[in-house]
Amino acid sequence: MLSALLAGALTLGVGACASVQPWERGTLARPEMQLDPNPLQSGLYEQVYDSKEAASGGAGTAGAGCGCN
Amino acid sequence: MAALSLPAFSATQPVESSVSAGVSNYKEADIPRGDVVGGDNRRYDIDISQFRLLTPIGNRWSVDLGVSRETMSGASPWATVPGLDGEADLIMSGATIEDSRTEVNLSAALYGQDRSAAVTLSSSNEDDYAARAVSVSGEWTFNGDLTTLSAGASHSGDVIEPSDAALFGRVAREERRTRSVSFGFAQILNRLSALYAGFSLTRHKGFLSDPYKLRDIRPPARTERALSVRYRRFLTGADGAIHLDYRYFDDDWGIVSHTVQSSWYQNLGNRFQIVPNVRYYSQSAAEFFLPVDNFLLSSEINQSSDFRLSAYGAVTAGLKGILQQPQWALTISVDRYMSREKYGLTSGYEHPARLQFTMASVVLDYKF
Repeated sequence: MLSALLAGALTLGVGACASVQPWERGTLARPEMQLDPNPLQSGLYEQVYDSKEAASGGAGTAGAGCGCN
Repeated sequence: MAALSLPAFSATQPVESSVSAGVSNYKEADIPRGDVVGGDNRRYDIDISQFRLLTPIGNRWSVDLGVSRETMSGASPWATVPGLDGEADLIMSGATIEDSRTEVNLSAALYGQDRSAAVTLSSSNEDDYAARAVSVSGEWTFNGDLTTLSAGASHSGDVIEPSDAALFGRVAREERRTRSVSFGFAQILNRLSALYAGFSLTRHKGFLSDPYKLRDIRPPARTERALSVRYRRFLTGADGAIHLDYRYFDDDWGIVSHTVQSSWYQNLGNRFQIVPNVRYYSQSAAEFFLPVDNFLLSSEINQSSDFRLSAYGAVTAGLKGILQQPQWALTISVDRYMSREKYGLTSGYEHPARLQFTMASVVLDYKF
């Protein structure tokens, strides 16, 4: 299932892309179009979910752990 | 695990410095009195202060410093026992736990024409837990700056020294080690949308049990796999952007999880945004999860009644307001999390320690 999901995502990404010139990227540069518009806040939520749920990871590398109960 | 270092859509040096400061409160709902046969039913209340500085140095480097401080109080589940009504009941820790945690992350990144590399050192300290981590990552942008590949690896060494170990017969000192690798693929699809896919593989080894529970025996190793897909699209007619995120997770403890999250960034004029968001989470139970602790089982046999290893689902609903100025932004948010066994995609037992919490945050960002 994991490999099927990965293949689907990559196919969708590569297959659907179009040429975008640098002067056409104003909208993509807006704060709300960033992958992570508010890193401070999303980092906190990531830590809460990682310590209170069994699942974690999926994007990026992990930082230091905690003994959160 | 603590916060993840998330790749960007392209490997470019920040053009200006930014400082962020935030305060948050995380409060778990009390466990109903009827489900607690001993101890305190009040769960965690945590105040969090955060600070982050990101600044370019010269024309090839940047430094990213993050510091967070948490002060917490509350009780946590100690054991799960059969109740008179046939449902599981809890014995909670008797006295209120008081603790604090300080985390520091320091990253240095080097930028080339179409690539970047970063090293991050992390440290987390509590009264009974210390973790040190190092991670390296790299990004490469190509295909006319439309595609970015990223990869990273991390290592964390943790030391657990439970408080009152001799008094309660807990382990005195244990260690665990975590190694993780990740890969990412970011693609600009057109002038209004972008997609990211990431995969991580994480291996934990060492003492993975909860030393504060009366009976909690887990395997000494755990391998986790996670795949995430994130989609961003701006809708010009609505003057807003939609975020759609999905994550698949599984591990060799038998847990399979699905997470779906969506946010809508609605612009109201040039200076204000309102952002409703919703998140759905579901996990199956670990193979060795037991709804009530079995003290007759050999200590060689794995078992845990930790609600975090049970089958359940959870819904988070939240609202964020952002006041955006050219040099600064103020973000205020509140989120409510509710978990139940019946919300999950797989059936299980309704755990008396099922979690509900509210989190409120205020964050100020300043660029200079």
